[in-house]
Amino acid sequence: MRIAAWLAAGALATTRLAGQSLPGRIDAVRDGRVLMTFAARPGVCGDGRGGVWFHGSRATNFSEGKRTPCIAGPVRVAIGRTDEQTVSVRQWVGGSWSSGGSDVDLGEVAPSSAAHYLLGLAHTLSGTSADAAVSAAAFADADDLSPDFMRLIRDGTASIETRKLALFWLGQSDAPTADLIRLHDSLEPFALREHYTFVLSQRHEDAAVDALIDVVRHDPNAEIRKRAMFWLGQMKEPKATKFIQDILTR
Amino acid sequence: MHRTVRSLSLLATLLLACAPAMRAQSLGKRVTASDGLVQVVFPSRPTVCGDGRSFIANVLGRSNYYSGNGSYSSRDGWSDRPCVNGPARVVATVIGHDVTRLSTYVGPVPAAQADMRTVTTAAAEASTWLGDLVARAGGRVASDAMLPLVLADAAAPWPLLLRVARDDNRPRDVRRSALTWLANGVNDHLGIADSRDESDDDEMRTQAVFVLSQRPKTESVPELIEIARSAKHPAARRSAIFWLGQTGDLRAADVFAELLRQ
Repeated sequence: MRIAAWLAAGALATTRLAGQSLPGRIDAVRDGRVLMTFAARPGVCGDGRGGVWFHGSRATNFSEGKRTPCIAGPVRVAIGRTDEQTVSVRQWVGGSWSSGGSDVDLGEVAPSSAAHYLLGLAHTLSGTSADAAVSAAAFADADDLSPDFMRLIRDGTASIETRKLALFWLGQSDAPTADLIRLHDSLEPFALREHYTFVLSQRHEDAAVDALIDVVRHDPNAEIRKRAMFWLGQMKEPKATKFIQDILTR
Repeated sequence: MHRTVRSLSLLATLLLACAPAMRAQSLGKRVTASDGLVQVVFPSRPTVCGDGRSFIANVLGRSNYYSGNGSYSSRDGWSDRPCVNGPARVVATVIGHDVTRLSTYVGPVPAAQADMRTVTTAAAEASTWLGDLVARAGGRVASDAMLPLVLADAAAPWPLLLRVARDDNRPRDVRRSALTWLANGVNDHLGIADSRDESDDDEMRTQAVFVLSQRPKTESVPELIEIARSAKHPAARRSAIFWLGQTGDLRAADVFAELLRQ
């Protein structure tokens, strides 16, 4: 009788969760792990154990280990909950769950919903969890996340590392270079402005070269100007090279 | 009789010509005669000074070296200790009749430890011995012998270091060390060893040179050579010469030889 009641309660809870929005379904879990999977964007693959590769036009290797078979998605996210609070986020690409009894598996969710939710979550997280939330969002086959990334980059209460990671992924996205450049004036901390010069240098476009030259010429901080020049030099664009050579002769 | 005189004078000429090598052999033999620690004391160039146990100042221009053997405390910081002009002192560790380690000091000579032999010698003799180590010894000893070679109040070491930098038979790290010392020597020779960034523009020029140096060698070496030869701003030229020395590229030795002749 008690078992039947427990099963009925469980079924009711599942039905209730299924009818809610993604944040509602996650927030409804008081303690334990919430698992979800969603489609990865084309070009993203992983080894299921934490190694992730991104074979886009701006390829980056995110694995610290040696190359293993790369599985094209899905993105798997585990959210740790304690006392109705999210306390941890972990993410993998590829592989499958070995879920414990107390896990709540939401199954496959819409990539855009997951990405927007995770980027919202990143505002209040830090360390590995924040990294995982931002990276998982970036790997999702989602719609335009630029506004979410920009909000996170500009959020003075979020951790610097999280904001840097958001800036990195904004740079790797399809967002126009002009949007990145407009961001410059709102980047207050040194670490963020320094990182901005690197992110910009990964865009091999004339506009990015011009923007970096502008930083070298006008940024009030000499260290930022030096970093901008370093990344200009790494771009190997003829215009950047000429600018550096001109500095030496004037 | 005439023939005897001619033979004697030929012998004397030969002996004179071979004298430095014989002196080196003689000092080298004395150093490696028995295993243990040997300190070789010799006159250093007049401008060089040190505290005798950790730091050496004014090596080339105002560049300083820290041997790291002295204990540092904020109360007795090495920079506050008196900088005494010479002598130079090289402590050699000898194992199996080979020099296996060298440590270099300038300034007051501390009382020798009971287990340490002391050899006091002329700068030229020390220079020949050290030059021999640079040219023939294993990697670390050869590289470590370059500092005291530069310090010795003897003939300039640059011709020898140029030979080593160009010698395919010497280990790569020794050739790189030779290039690094040559770069310092060239900057000193050109009177720009102490050129510092005196303005924002200077700072950016120095950074521009660094940025160019970090590009692939096919691009960076020709750029650095051009700047080393003809940059009008001393800080940029000094930086280019330094980074050229760090490339390990053989072309650097040719440019250094050319600049040392200026």
